[in-house]
Amino acid sequence: MARRVVITGCSAITPIGYGRADIIDSLRKGRSGVKPLRDDGLLTDYIHSRVFGTVDYSIDYGFSRQYRKTMGPVAYYACRVARDVLEASGLSSEFITSGRLGVSFSSTHGSPTVQRDIYKTFFSNSKSEFSSIGAVDYLKSMVHTTAVNITRMFGITGRIIASSTACTTSSQSIGLGYEMVKYGMQDAMLCGGADEYDTTTVAVFDNLLACSIAYNDTPQATPRPFDQNRDGLVVGEGAGIVLLEELKSAKDRGADILAEVIGFASNNNGGDLILPNLDGITATLQLALDDAGIAPGEVDFISAHATATKMGDVIEAQAIDAIYGSSPLVTGLKSYMGHTMGACGVIELILTLYMMKEGFIAPTLNLDTVDERCSMLRHTSDLTRTETNIAAVQNFAFGGVNTSLLIKNGRQTN
Amino acid sequence: MTRDELQEKILTILEKDFEFDHPGLDENLRDEHGFDSIDAIELLAKIEKIIGFSIAREEKEKAMSIGTLNDILDYIEALISARKS
Repeated sequence: MARRVVITGCSAITPIGYGRADIIDSLRKGRSGVKPLRDDGLLTDYIHSRVFGTVDYSIDYGFSRQYRKTMGPVAYYACRVARDVLEASGLSSEFITSGRLGVSFSSTHGSPTVQRDIYKTFFSNSKSEFSSIGAVDYLKSMVHTTAVNITRMFGITGRIIASSTACTTSSQSIGLGYEMVKYGMQDAMLCGGADEYDTTTVAVFDNLLACSIAYNDTPQATPRPFDQNRDGLVVGEGAGIVLLEELKSAKDRGADILAEVIGFASNNNGGDLILPNLDGITATLQLALDDAGIAPGEVDFISAHATATKMGDVIEAQAIDAIYGSSPLVTGLKSYMGHTMGACGVIELILTLYMMKEGFIAPTLNLDTVDERCSMLRHTSDLTRTETNIAAVQNFAFGGVNTSLLIKNGRQTN
Repeated sequence: MTRDELQEKILTILEKDFEFDHPGLDENLRDEHGFDSIDAIELLAKIEKIIGFSIAREEKEKAMSIGTLNDILDYIEALISARKS
């Protein structure tokens, strides 16, 4: 029998701030976290895009070497947000280590910083340096490094899911974690994703002509989701995590219920691995509504994937129009921080949770002139005070993976 | 290299790199400081740099049973002695 699943904790490290107060302040003030790309002495001279959604503030990690020794930068992010949520949760150490709490968390490809150092060694032609490659480098760079560093730090013995599906990494992590709890496989799941500062990702998207290059001198003017002068995505970094719990046990222990996850869908386009696919995306949005058992008109707000690529935004707008029409407010939250890759789904969910709680919806930044092909939607053009009962968070990835998450304000559930 | 010089180098590694708090010569590093198989592998790479030659696979496997600082010094001295003979 399906159980109801609620979100009882969250934490995010983002280019617009770390933690609730910082992030809400940035959303209210329309503050962008896009900065000039830092020189990495390797690739940056060849990259056309010179902007990056950057976490440029210091973070007090306080991890002892016992834990640091298997962590690359991406695992630092992951473990920090995991610690925030577990410390605030009030969950007992007996429960955390009982096997009934699992982790669904990943990144796009482990730690590229560590991987780059390994490749440097390969090409160094130095035998002594070659011998320095060891098990620790693998533990820091493997694709499930974030998930297992979290389990190691907190003694979590439940299931591990490390869904590494590019831009849907963390939205899938949440959806799969939701299904774990919904169908009784676990009683709670820590779900999310992280990605670290990485210029190789910029180079990849740059070569695919998908990166923004026209605003290198004015980084905060890009990305521009749905705007007629958008010219591509901006790669970013960050991390986010949510704690999912079964409703009854969350209520019994008096946890603060931020929202209920009421629906999730994920499918694949079954074809091209790069181009957005209207049929695939439209089907995902409908499947999530079917899973939740709600009508499209009940959704008040959509956090669009909206990377600000030329075709991606148009296809997404068409899909939203086909399913939802012009009823819900639509915001492209990547306009604040760029595309945080494996972290984008969970970060956008957390921003949505914050806005739900605060009773406002932040506008899409840099949306000066709506592309007429996207104009059929109800774009959030100004900070809007409104009560959001149900919100959709949608994400799409290279490889043709699509996800849609539906959440309901926890105000009535508490 | 004398045993005292070797001890100073290994102590520096354990205190600076591994962040162990003043490990004693006969203190069990696993129980008292959380020394594990990952540390053993990292330590072997550092020992190779100190002694200036590669450690063979079968010799490395013996390092997995290291328990104390004295064990580490005995292990390194045995490696050096085996190369000389």
